[in-house]
Amino acid sequence: MAVPQAPSKPTLDASGAEQYARLLEEARGIQGVSLWQDAWRRLQRNRIAMGSLYFIAAVSVLAILVPVLPLQSPLDKDLRDRKNLPPERETVRLGSRDELRFAGNSLAGELGEYEAMLDELQQQVALATGDERIDLQQRLELTRINRDPLRKLWNNPGPIVRGMLRLRVALFGDWCIPSLFGTDDLGRDVLSRVCWGARVSLVVGVVATLVSLAIGVSYGAIAGYCGGWIDEAMMRFVDILYSIPFIFVVIFLLAILGAEDRKQWLEERGINQLVIFYVVIGAFYWLTMARVVRGQVISLKTEQFVEAARVIGAGRTRIIFRHLIPNVLGIVIVYLTLTIPAVMLFESFLSFLGLGVQPPDVSWGLLVNEGTQVITPIKIYWWQVVFSGMTLAMTLFSLNFLGDGLRDALDPRMKNR
Amino acid sequence: MHPSIRNAFPYIALAGLFSALAWAVSFGTLPPADFSFHNGDEVKTVDPALAYGQPEHRVLTAMFEGLYREWPIGYEMDEQGNVISEPEPDENGNYPVGSAPGMAESHELSEDGRVYTFHMRPGVKWSDGSPLTAHDFVWSWRRTLHPETAAVYGYQLWYLLGAKKYTEGRVEVGDLVEIEMPNRPRADQPFPRGDIHRAKLLGIARPREVRPPENASDEDKEALKATWRSGWVYIVDHAAGDTESDSEPTKIAAYSKNIVAGDWQKYDTEWLDGKKPASLPNKPEKCKQLLLDFESSVGVKAPDASTLVVTLENRTPFFIDLTAFYPLYPVNRACVEQYGNPNWTRPDNLVTNGAYTMEFRRVRDRMRLIKNPAYWDADRVKLEIVDAMAVKSATTALNMYLTGQLEWVTDVPASVIPDLIARPEKDFIPTPVLIIYFYRLNTTRPPLDDVHLRRALNLAMDKQLICEKVTQGGQMPARSIVPPGLPGYNSPLCGEFDVEAARAELAKSKYAKLPGGIPKIEITYNDNDTHRAIAEVIQQMWKNNLGINVDLKSLEWTSYLDAQHTMQYSVCRAGWVPDYPDANTFIDMWLTGGGNNETGWSNAKYDALVKQAAEEPDPDERLRRMEEAEAILMDELPIVPIYYYTGKNLVSPKVKGFFHNALEKYPIQLMRIEE
Amino acid sequence: MGGVVGFLLRRACWVVITLWIVYTASFILMRNVPGGPFDSERKLPAEIQKNIEARYNLDQPLLTQYFDHLGNILFRGDFGPSFRMTDFTVNQVIAQGFPVSASMGIFAITFAIVLGTLSGIVSAVRRHSVWDVSFMTAATLGIAVPNFVLASLAIVVFVFQLQWFPAAGWGSLRQIILPALCLGAPYAGYIARLTRTGMLEVLGRDYIRTAYAKGLGERRVVMRHALRGALLPVVSYLGPATAGILTGSLVLEQIFALPGMGSHFVEAASQRDYPLALGMVMIYTCLLLFMNTMVDLSYAMIDPRVKIETQ
Repeated sequence: MAVPQAPSKPTLDASGAEQYARLLEEARGIQGVSLWQDAWRRLQRNRIAMGSLYFIAAVSVLAILVPVLPLQSPLDKDLRDRKNLPPERETVRLGSRDELRFAGNSLAGELGEYEAMLDELQQQVALATGDERIDLQQRLELTRINRDPLRKLWNNPGPIVRGMLRLRVALFGDWCIPSLFGTDDLGRDVLSRVCWGARVSLVVGVVATLVSLAIGVSYGAIAGYCGGWIDEAMMRFVDILYSIPFIFVVIFLLAILGAEDRKQWLEERGINQLVIFYVVIGAFYWLTMARVVRGQVISLKTEQFVEAARVIGAGRTRIIFRHLIPNVLGIVIVYLTLTIPAVMLFESFLSFLGLGVQPPDVSWGLLVNEGTQVITPIKIYWWQVVFSGMTLAMTLFSLNFLGDGLRDALDPRMKNR
Repeated sequence: MHPSIRNAFPYIALAGLFSALAWAVSFGTLPPADFSFHNGDEVKTVDPALAYGQPEHRVLTAMFEGLYREWPIGYEMDEQGNVISEPEPDENGNYPVGSAPGMAESHELSEDGRVYTFHMRPGVKWSDGSPLTAHDFVWSWRRTLHPETAAVYGYQLWYLLGAKKYTEGRVEVGDLVEIEMPNRPRADQPFPRGDIHRAKLLGIARPREVRPPENASDEDKEALKATWRSGWVYIVDHAAGDTESDSEPTKIAAYSKNIVAGDWQKYDTEWLDGKKPASLPNKPEKCKQLLLDFESSVGVKAPDASTLVVTLENRTPFFIDLTAFYPLYPVNRACVEQYGNPNWTRPDNLVTNGAYTMEFRRVRDRMRLIKNPAYWDADRVKLEIVDAMAVKSATTALNMYLTGQLEWVTDVPASVIPDLIARPEKDFIPTPVLIIYFYRLNTTRPPLDDVHLRRALNLAMDKQLICEKVTQGGQMPARSIVPPGLPGYNSPLCGEFDVEAARAELAKSKYAKLPGGIPKIEITYNDNDTHRAIAEVIQQMWKNNLGINVDLKSLEWTSYLDAQHTMQYSVCRAGWVPDYPDANTFIDMWLTGGGNNETGWSNAKYDALVKQAAEEPDPDERLRRMEEAEAILMDELPIVPIYYYTGKNLVSPKVKGFFHNALEKYPIQLMRIEE
Repeated sequence: MGGVVGFLLRRACWVVITLWIVYTASFILMRNVPGGPFDSERKLPAEIQKNIEARYNLDQPLLTQYFDHLGNILFRGDFGPSFRMTDFTVNQVIAQGFPVSASMGIFAITFAIVLGTLSGIVSAVRRHSVWDVSFMTAATLGIAVPNFVLASLAIVVFVFQLQWFPAAGWGSLRQIILPALCLGAPYAGYIARLTRTGMLEVLGRDYIRTAYAKGLGERRVVMRHALRGALLPVVSYLGPATAGILTGSLVLEQIFALPGMGSHFVEAASQRDYPLALGMVMIYTCLLLFMNTMVDLSYAMIDPRVKIETQ
């Protein structure tokens, strides 16, 4: 195997700025290509890791596209007719449940009517003047909030999701994929819930991990670079945090932040329950990251490129964030892929305790927990736990294997193997 | 590190592991119990004065017995415990349940319905063999009412004359008072107490009150006030009272719980009839407690060992049932005084007077009860060893039942109820109980301050569907706050599910025309699968039927309670278990400013009707007043009733003597196992 | 051995400081949570509420409560009475729950170590074989499936289908096995993977080649020479794993109705039983620090290169 040559050190006696620049250019070029390309090549040879990567990519794409897919509503509960149905192949028309009272018993019909109503109102607003105009505008606003059929079938869709849902109606009409995964105890489609749950679960995993990444990497890098008593103090702090039982703090933090007045304060600033949830979890998973990064930084900070930066006159902050952190990226990525599954598992544990994601949001943890509730020797609605459990396990599985693969690929000692 | 140690290390580690394993395996096995039941959460305490909650109820009624005891009406046994007659269940499968004589053999009631004279059963004994007398009841009730006992259910005794005042520590000049000296044998225990002097209160001298700083919190103000109150000086006349101690105090004396420097005689003093005694002591004496004199002023007396006279504030028709309720059970004075609190409740120390005593107790595992041979009715108690299992999860309890580890399960998961009902064994019969599931609406918050909107919310709720498809246990959709099944009481009903009517009401609401539409509503509930499912279903109903935006918020238990008590919610799930089988327990909580109102709702006419009902001597008229009051409640709807609970008892077919009833009273001493 | 004593002394100092900080942080956190220990469904009359607070010293200023409680712990080892389970002191609750948790934990850890290292070794030695792939898949599944799902499935299979074990409860050896297996499963998976990685690394080292060159058999090389080096990451993992087993067990305690400490953790926190919650936190922290110290010590014992003096 061709091992990329380490760039030869630019010697000071090399005369001429041009030559120096060329050398530098060359060195940068070689280095940039070699590390990542080499890792990539090695990763590609690891079939399990690549399979995992594809799987995760597929799940992520699916999760992003969920609103466009012809799925049933993840929220609409048909208690009368669709409770605890086993997997079936008969399709359901979207919005056909009587209690919804949709025009033409379908979402497309209701949506058409709703839009016609909006148009009419908008025209009236355009024509009206003075007080009447204000009144009509208010009516328009009211209609938007209370009549919107999309709000009845999906949980507070934002502008993007709403656009995607409209696209879905335009593409597929009222046709839905049948309840291939059966329905749950309240008559909701499990397939659709698993798909929508993917969005929340993946976002919890990724966002919480990013939070932990942001805190952990900067904390570790600062401690490692500064060294001395600062390092000592910062690491002692991490040690202390390590020894506080985490679940205990999560319960209390969620309770403190869930109190009505605080919650309102946060909500006014656009921070909802889900965001609090990510941040609280993220705020606890940075400890390992901080330790790892610190270790790496300590070994890196005596390297010549740091010396060089310092000689040029780069400040501390610049050295840490521009020079050191990019160099610990490899190990950080590995830890990232291992933290995401840990966070997702923790989310399901919190769901078990009733502290997880709140309905009407769905997550895999919540689904799995709901599913295990109906595993009793009297009756087993297996489809309610098997599908959500499988997707959760498969995802965690893939993330773990990908993390292992990445570690092997990025590990310099593995280079010649 | 020495290399030899290092080489030995793996073996040391292995040896450690194996010894740990051996230790873990060495736990002995228990002899099996005759009867094991699912007691829900861990029992908080077996002190009848401090207990509250269902799990406590089940074990306390097994171990202790009041003047009366809970008993199915019409159930009779002969001396050996063979059944002579069994009651008949009603159409719901419920048996009538009432009270039968227990520690008391009989009672008489005075004309005005306020004075009960109980005659103790001769020869009743504590489990340690000592006799149980009327004095035990006086002492136990005094202990329950004493402020330092801080009994949660103490207010169950507040029907007694003067009892509330005694607990609150309020005294007025002219009252007879009891003064406890600070010579308690155990400083940290309210019982046993120090010497008690009894005297007449002549005056109260109050120091100048310290003004709290502007920015002080409520708690700080409260604390400051408490300190101030403790500095009050009480001037008493001993000649007018009695004394329990040998020392002969002077006739006029002054006492204070907290001696403050300075001349107390300069304080602002309130004198009896405005008369200041001629000579006053220079310094007040320190006392531990100064309370209303229990013996003379609180309505319970024991003229002799076999007679107990109870005087109530008002006529209280359900008082006999109350004497069968655990806050009124007696405790053994010698035991409490010897071991102190809480050690007297340890299995080795506990002395009981009921059908069972406690053999041992393991936290979150089980409480083992064994038959009490000293119990007066022991011949008719059939189960020798009973295990009360602390199993929290209903699914686990079900698993244990199905594998024969439990004979009686008190709660089952909602999802399996239809399948349980269909079982050929017929071991699961859900029967209605007097518990209501409802939503509180915070009437101080828009949009719930609008009565039309509240009515619309009620009308838009398909309660039948919730009962049939979510709770599934035969629950009845509720249209009143008082559950059906209370004799003589007919609840007025609120509107039934009707989407058109709901929309019409909504249109009448002032919010229907408001800019920005109806403010968002949030349903708060404590996290639990059933509550969550119901909230989700109601959210959908309100959204679909009324087009109102509804959010859900689940809180863990204490945060939920706190949100409710401090009214930090807009809609909040709640339940109410009656304290006694009378409509009043469901009605009087909605009085203006009532402690359990928690909706901010207030209606002067309602308050007046409830007050009239309390003072009404005629039982029928009393019920009519309450019905009128409830009609107002069901019209204004500060709460939306959702359904009446059913008891979810899964009882093995081999258990006999188990009578389903609406009050969830299941005396274990009646149960027996027949294969 | 002087190094060890010095090390332990310094460590003890550090443990005391950590415990104090953890105690203080928990105390502050707990007192800022909405709701109090005596909230119940029916609101108590104000007088009774006040009496209860007086009884448990909750009417004192916070700082006084803090020092009183801390003082009781320090000088008498007394965590005070439990506010919710009023018949017990916190010490009694812990004394009853600890043996249960400990024995279940020991079972789980033993199971995890035995199964984990064995399958890890086999996987590493027979790399890329069917054994390797299936062991590693099983190990990863153990990590990837939430243990409440595992437990529910195990109950259906082992309790109701095969009828090998009782459904729940505590008291006999048969009742420990199923929860311990469920508890140990994720740790077994983790240990298996750690052993495999460590083993692979060691097997490439020169001294192993030397051992082979000496003509030693494979079994001897693996068990005598390679395993020791490969176990280092496993040993360092055991510290945090013990703590994880303690809290992780709460799920299984609920499902199997076991009277261990795990459920007290969440219960005490959610019921605002301040003394019990503090007691649980302190026990947890103590155990964790103790285990970490043990890990550091055994690290030095296994690996000749690690000097204890340098911490």
